[in-house]
Amino acid sequence: MKPAPFEYAAPKTIAEALDILGQNDLDEVKLMAGGQSLMPLLNMRLARPSLVLDLNHVEGLDGIREESSGLRVGAMTTKRVLEDSDLVRSQYPLLWESTVAIGHAPIRNRGTVGGSMVQADPASEYPAAALAFDMEFVVMSSAGERVIQAEDFFVTYLTTSIEPGEILTEIRIPRLPPGTGWGFQELARRHGDFAIVGALATVRVESGLCCDPRIVLFGAADRAIRVPAGEACLEGAPPSEASLTVMGDAVFDAVEDPLSDVHASAEYRRDLARVLSKRAMSEAMSRAS
Amino acid sequence: MAVRIPNTLNELPASQPRFVGRGIRRVEDASLLTGRTPFIDDVVLPQMLHCAILKSPFAHARISSIDTKEAEALPGVVAVLTGEDVLRWSYPAQSAPEGWGSHCMATDVTRFVGEPVAAVAATSRYVAEDAIELIFVDYEPLEAVADPFEAMNSDSPLVMEDQGSNVMMDRVFNWGEVDQVFSDAEHVVREKFRWHRMGANPTETFGCIAEWSPLDLSITLRGSIQSPSMFALGRASTFGLPPNKVNVISHPHGGSFGGKGGSRGSDITCMLSRKADGRPVKWIEDRIEYLTSGGSQAWDRHYEAAIAVDADGIVQGLDVQLVDDIGATGDMYGAICAAKPLAAFTGPYTIQAARYDLKLVATNKLPSGPYRGMGPPPHFFVLEQLMDRAARLRGEDPSEFRRKNFIRSDQFPYTIPSGNEYDSGNYGEVLDRVLELSDYTEMRANQVKAREEGRLVGVGVASAIEPGVFDWNAYAIVGMQGTGVPEGATVGIDVMGGVTVRVGFALEGQGQYTLVSQLVSDFFGVVPEAVQVVQLDTQSAPPSFGPGGSRLGVSITGAVLGACEKIKEKMIRVVASLMQCEPEQVRLLDGKFGVEGVPGAEMTVPEVAGTMLARSDLLPPDVDPAPVATHVWTAAGRTEPDEEGRAKSYLTAAHAVHVVQVEVDRATGMVEIQRYCLADDCGTRLNPATVEGQTDGSVAQGIGAALLEEYAYDEDAQPLTTSFMDYLLPTVFEVPEIEKVAVVTPSPFTPLGAKGCGEGAIHTTPAAIMCAINDALLPLGVQTTEVPASPRRLWKLIQEAQS
Amino acid sequence: MSALVPVKCHVNGRVVETMVDARMTLADFLRHELGLTGTHVGCEHGVCGICNILVDGQTTRSCLMLAVQAEGHEIRTVESLSDGDKLHPIQEAFMEEHGLQCGFCTAGFMMAICDLLENNTNPSEDEIKDVLGGQVCRCTGYNTILRAVKNAAAKMGSAGA
Ligand SMILES: Cc1cc2nc3c(=O)[nH]c(=O)nc-3n(C[C@H](O)[C@H](O)[C@H](O)COP(=O)(O)OP(=O)(O)OC[C@H]3O[C@@H](n4cnc5c(N)ncnc54)[C@H](O)[C@@H]3O)c2cc1C
Ligand code: FES
Ligand code: FES
Repeated sequence: MKPAPFEYAAPKTIAEALDILGQNDLDEVKLMAGGQSLMPLLNMRLARPSLVLDLNHVEGLDGIREESSGLRVGAMTTKRVLEDSDLVRSQYPLLWESTVAIGHAPIRNRGTVGGSMVQADPASEYPAAALAFDMEFVVMSSAGERVIQAEDFFVTYLTTSIEPGEILTEIRIPRLPPGTGWGFQELARRHGDFAIVGALATVRVESGLCCDPRIVLFGAADRAIRVPAGEACLEGAPPSEASLTVMGDAVFDAVEDPLSDVHASAEYRRDLARVLSKRAMSEAMSRAS
Repeated sequence: MAVRIPNTLNELPASQPRFVGRGIRRVEDASLLTGRTPFIDDVVLPQMLHCAILKSPFAHARISSIDTKEAEALPGVVAVLTGEDVLRWSYPAQSAPEGWGSHCMATDVTRFVGEPVAAVAATSRYVAEDAIELIFVDYEPLEAVADPFEAMNSDSPLVMEDQGSNVMMDRVFNWGEVDQVFSDAEHVVREKFRWHRMGANPTETFGCIAEWSPLDLSITLRGSIQSPSMFALGRASTFGLPPNKVNVISHPHGGSFGGKGGSRGSDITCMLSRKADGRPVKWIEDRIEYLTSGGSQAWDRHYEAAIAVDADGIVQGLDVQLVDDIGATGDMYGAICAAKPLAAFTGPYTIQAARYDLKLVATNKLPSGPYRGMGPPPHFFVLEQLMDRAARLRGEDPSEFRRKNFIRSDQFPYTIPSGNEYDSGNYGEVLDRVLELSDYTEMRANQVKAREEGRLVGVGVASAIEPGVFDWNAYAIVGMQGTGVPEGATVGIDVMGGVTVRVGFALEGQGQYTLVSQLVSDFFGVVPEAVQVVQLDTQSAPPSFGPGGSRLGVSITGAVLGACEKIKEKMIRVVASLMQCEPEQVRLLDGKFGVEGVPGAEMTVPEVAGTMLARSDLLPPDVDPAPVATHVWTAAGRTEPDEEGRAKSYLTAAHAVHVVQVEVDRATGMVEIQRYCLADDCGTRLNPATVEGQTDGSVAQGIGAALLEEYAYDEDAQPLTTSFMDYLLPTVFEVPEIEKVAVVTPSPFTPLGAKGCGEGAIHTTPAAIMCAINDALLPLGVQTTEVPASPRRLWKLIQEAQS
Repeated sequence: MSALVPVKCHVNGRVVETMVDARMTLADFLRHELGLTGTHVGCEHGVCGICNILVDGQTTRSCLMLAVQAEGHEIRTVESLSDGDKLHPIQEAFMEEHGLQCGFCTAGFMMAICDLLENNTNPSEDEIKDVLGGQVCRCTGYNTILRAVKNAAAKMGSAGA
């Protein structure tokens, strides 16, 4: 299990990286971030680039910056940095929970935020968090910069709307409105495994009624998805067990065609979507103030 | 010379054993902890090449052509091997049942995904993997069969055409008046069960380095090889060589658990070395190779079983029908797993009649192999589920129902219907201790409360036997020949009082070298640091089988003590002659030879050794001057199997009762183990710390079996679990604290009264967890019969119950 | 043939400067080019944790990094733990608690534990499990490994105090 031959480049600046991309057949180049998804694929020869373009030496791609509207996280920031950040833990607890649910400590030490987003594994926590927060993705290419909204970013299984030749440089993470309660639930065969299904929920409770409820699922479709039908059931409803049941059933109906594999049948995933979205939303309700 | 080997600790020549019986630190650890122990992939030989193997992507296909030209032309490639070479140079492997062996590489037809079809030796593994991508194979896909019931149909595709059928074996064994006890029964409990394929997965895969000597047609094979002498015999047979032309050098290995495999890879590298003019060729199986085509898969079983219970609640009969999916060939010896239950067919119970209806069936899956426990763990899962159902039917507590069916301590040695004899035990005591440890009554009370809250909490009590010290005769029904499995050791003492022990097996984790040091230290009054254990290759070692079948602890104890006794006898004669007394007056105690009735007349062991080595002129003429002796130990009293397969096979019968509490999440089907308690009795504990280590590890593997581990295939026999992302081993989160208590009933038949304990808890753990899950599910009126109890399966059951 | 690329890094306190095949994994580089065979390999796809080493003090899968990516980093392997014949407290703890059987997984565990205990000599059970969670031991069932971590924490805590 050894990688096929490739060449290697480690540019120091974005400009240099874009330059290298410009000089090569884009289908033959693979960008390498933390390598925690790419390296297994290289080792198994399932990815066979002729050039690996390592982003680890590119300046200015990592770190967390706080602004009034939210966070700006460099694409190459490792999950460990988010996990260790008091700011993230105290002000963005849903992001923190999503972070520590990813794999294991050594994976988070090296795996990056950007890498998880671009990998777009349907069972991954981060794309779901992106939908929960309405994150924005800043992407650079030789043509300049563009910003992609989370809802447009994840296309399907392992595919995003990033084009070959583009580099994700930054992720903008808006702060959730004050008073927003949140919940995070996932079911995996073992602690730290990719989830079978997971759910993120946010909601505010105003005058005793649910306001702006949001439900995001991962592992339930070909990508992370929001469930508007479930959200609609809750808007303006009291935060009660009865509302949750109605919401759960709506989620169940909305998740039409989940993946089926050795760990979970489609019908099981569908029911888990119901169960976990209810549990996550129930947590969110109890945290909303 | 007849040697009497101590059966109790008191018989050791030590006023108080200082090391045996204690959990001393292991002598092997310092080297392991500093990364110095040479595992096979750490070894580099001059001129060494690296092998990569091209595997079949089809479960069943005819190979129409193979083109290796481009691979051969790749710089760095030295040799390419295909089926043509293999046909020329080797024979099909031996197998059980006989005649179901194949060549190490497909020669015309591939029979499972992952079967080798070509191989390369090159200057690095990287280049070798580049080269196998340049081998072009034309396959003509054939219909594959993945289900053993389909495979038994007359219109099924044939896995081995020559055999004319996919049924490898179909026989019914009757032991006792089975029909009678079933027709007399008050209750008959019958059920179907399914145990899915799973297996060993040691953290180190198989690896080897082969050297073919073109001069004298001999082979040197280094590797992570569990049973070196057997492996040498196997290679000799595939190459038609005399066994002494194959020298196997086993390296310390990263676990084995019976599932190291490696025969195909070894044969391939031997032939690649032959093609490369004798240059050494290394092959390190990677994990994906291990999972799809290694020695990884065992126990793919479909059961229908019943017990007959009389009016007093005594189980009188056991009827087991097993369809065992062996996979494509019999050369990885999965079949012996189906035979081994004979050694403990009726478990710890007084069941007097039993039937075993056994069908071994070939399919286009990876040939199955052995795994820790060999065959009884699934068998006991079945038996224990039936016991629970019977107890429930009678409204009896599962622990008490088991107790009244236990073989009583005054009934030993006890012969079970399938022929084996259990040496000793105190099953009631083991049960008492674990009930105490777990606070069983309170556990049940908590369960009542939890149920009132609507939670699915369950308690499982399961009991099983671990047959120890295997013998070939246990596997006679699937065609294994012979009785008696030797283990030898050579002990030598130098002038400085250092003791060197030479053995024929490599380290694989059970702490055997530590055990050897403990024994020798107490025998000759030295410290473990003064004992050097040396591993020899198969051309130099005394006869040895090595670890396997829960045998090595007992067997090596016999071998080492036997050799020590022989040295002691020689030394006594030397001392008697020097002290001018009768040998009967000389006693060895705490490292000194003294003369009875003559205070102060003493010689230390090194003094005697020094005299023997330096002054043979002072020795009596008939005393061999070497303070060295070899002893080969075999279990006494093993018998030839009768027509129904009955034999005294495994020498010891360890016993355990496990009590487990689980909670099943009714919405998701996830199982949480809330408490894990066990009591076990494996006789004298020679090193309690290593015994506990074996137990812990075996519980963990049992947890994996019950909840996580499964090799899945689709209908076309394509494997679906080909990486560690899908084949799930338990981690620290899945294994709870394991609370343990020991009962010690020494074996009357073994060195120091120890019993085999290496395979251990996996005999009981899956059964106990499944009992607990079913106990949890009781309020829903459903029961699971499938292992592993994965969440999707339990969820489905719960859904069915609620709809 | 892959391109040869230069790499300069520190391995166990020594400077290593050499050319490597671009595609070579760091695990293979350490084991087969530098002869540091104490780091073992169990899966080569990131799941078993046996190949764990420290990169700038952080636990890292050496099978999921290219050798060339060691450029500019500080690598530590199991060979760096003991000082001559004096074992590291983590090694002593493993020995005392019987935290190993075959020993094949042990280096990976010890390096992860080193990362943990160098930053926190009083970890909670959850913190310990979080660190150990990503790796497999097939022999011990983890009970004794957990004990070894606590034992080592006590040793390192009192040594630091
Ligand atoms: C044992 C194990 C368990 C895991 N468990 C989980 C889990 O539970 N949940 C989970 O979400 N993940 C899990 N992962 C995956 C892990 O989180 C990866 O780190 C992540 O998916 C990818 O991040 P990376 O930085 O390693 O990216 P890489 O592997 O380097 O890259 C991933 C992909 O993204 C592309 N890419 C990376 N960065 C950029 C960029 N800046 N611009 C454009 N393209 C880019 C690469 O070309 C590649 O195609 C696990 C991995 C392992 C090995
Ligand atoms: S070998 Fe690197 S994680 Fe398994
Ligand atoms: S000690 Fe053998 S795998 Fe951990």
